[in-house]
Amino acid sequence: MRLISRVVAASVSIGFLTLTLTGVVSAQNDAEKIYKTNCVLCHAPDGSGSSPSGKALKAEDLRSELIQKKTDAELAAAITNGKGKMPAFGKKLKPDQIAQLVAYIRALPKK
Amino acid sequence: MRHSKPVLSAAGKIAVKNLSPIFVIACLLITFKPVAHAVPSYSRQTGLPCATCHFAPPELTPFGRKFKLDGYVFTTKPEVTDEKKGHNAALAILEAFPLSVIFDASFTETKSPQPGTQNGNFLFPQAASLFLAGKWASHVGSFVQVTYDSQGDHFSWDNTDIRYANATSVFGKPLSYGVMFNNNPTVEDLWNSTPAWGFPFTGSNVAPGPTAGALINGGLAQDVAGVGAYGMWNEHIYLAGTIYRSEHIGGAQPNAGTGFGINIRGVAPYWRVAYQTVKENNSLEVGMYGIHVKSTPNAVTGPEDSFTDWAADFQYDRTIPQFNNDVLSFRGSYIRENSSLAGTIVDTGNGPGAAFTRHHLNTLQGNVEYHYGTKLSGTVGLFGVNGTPDPILFPQAAVTGSANGDPRSNGYILNLSWWPQQNIDLAVQYTGYWRFNGLQTNYDGAGRDASANNTVYLLARFVF
Repeated sequence: MRLISRVVAASVSIGFLTLTLTGVVSAQNDAEKIYKTNCVLCHAPDGSGSSPSGKALKAEDLRSELIQKKTDAELAAAITNGKGKMPAFGKKLKPDQIAQLVAYIRALPKK
Repeated sequence: MRHSKPVLSAAGKIAVKNLSPIFVIACLLITFKPVAHAVPSYSRQTGLPCATCHFAPPELTPFGRKFKLDGYVFTTKPEVTDEKKGHNAALAILEAFPLSVIFDASFTETKSPQPGTQNGNFLFPQAASLFLAGKWASHVGSFVQVTYDSQGDHFSWDNTDIRYANATSVFGKPLSYGVMFNNNPTVEDLWNSTPAWGFPFTGSNVAPGPTAGALINGGLAQDVAGVGAYGMWNEHIYLAGTIYRSEHIGGAQPNAGTGFGINIRGVAPYWRVAYQTVKENNSLEVGMYGIHVKSTPNAVTGPEDSFTDWAADFQYDRTIPQFNNDVLSFRGSYIRENSSLAGTIVDTGNGPGAAFTRHHLNTLQGNVEYHYGTKLSGTVGLFGVNGTPDPILFPQAAVTGSANGDPRSNGYILNLSWWPQQNIDLAVQYTGYWRFNGLQTNYDGAGRDASANNTVYLLARFVF
């Protein structure tokens, strides 16, 4: 009986962990997809802004201290309303997608 | 987004239907005049001004090239979407239908009138185009154009570029790739140094133009259908290839070839290779392209003509920060066409269409343009054509002919465009000829000098 309890407890724990990790990976994948669809054109896959169009438009390096020191709210506002030559994405992306994008940008320096 | 659309005039249509194949080509080259287009539905789709994609429409900036490379799908606007789940397909379509309009009105005057005709001609409109240009679905977008030509007094299918695009990584570097369908060799190109999008970006379809021109220089535009693929690796290396078949819009199907100078036998392969590098204020491209066409004039069987075009091109754009980011552009191209006219030289009852089988043609053009912000742009261009003299291929005729059968022509084009708004172009253009169809004076044997064709052209273009 004790063995069965341990097996059940272990199974539940593994299942919960798997679901949690799947959710995290899924969120990362969603954020990456949003980034690739909307941001890569100028900011390049690595966030450096080194794509030809990024260089021509002088797109910011999203990994830089200048960007990373901004608050989440400031980054979200820039994505929502646009800034400089960057267009506004507020009509296309939902607030939760913009939040995922902000998290993705935060992770760019570590990639 | 610009479009270079050769407009086929009524004279061209008549030639296509009734005349000998090489004369047809010649007439097509005379009457095809480039018309440049930029498309506001892209602006509405991206939420970006025209100037983000164009130095001056239709000249693409690095951003504009990337937008095209990625299949015209980038958007910041609301879409109707559905996720791909299990066995259900995804959906991503624009809420706004990507439709645009261009309206061109023009005035043309040549130094001397063409005999028996009015000089100083208003065309209202010269042309009007409808565009379906924008995102169709995830990874699929288009530039599709239908144009009303006032000389033909009808709408006709025009430049078309429909593409699927995607991106991946190869050897650790980004690769943008795609599959495309189009109806004009070089219409898929990203630079303004190739024929479909090259200078002059607009021009008169009333004034005479030199008879001789390479096949890839507009001679197949809207008369072929092609499928191809392309890729840009590491933002530097661009490769593209397309195979074409004759389409003959307006002709009877299935195609019997009758009345058409070019009937592609098998397929005509088109190739393109280019290298680009972009720095903060500099953008450089050097490349090569070409096409090989085997064709039977007026039929789909029988002796074949063969055309092989090789071309080299370059484009350099320099942004000048000291001058408020004005842009100076240099562009140039050289096309070498080698042809074997084994089909044309055959006497089919009206006499042979050429005196010799082997011909060549060289086309050289270059231009420099200064963009004063997005309000003004001034361009100086030079052009020259020379090749194998042939008194049958280039026969004597008033205005359009050659007294000595020599295809040589050269001259210059000056263009000044004023953009009071980014979608309104008011342009004045002057074309001058030093030599026209072989000679400087009495080039047609009827007493007309090359300079008689010097042309003043005024354009008012509204794009919305």
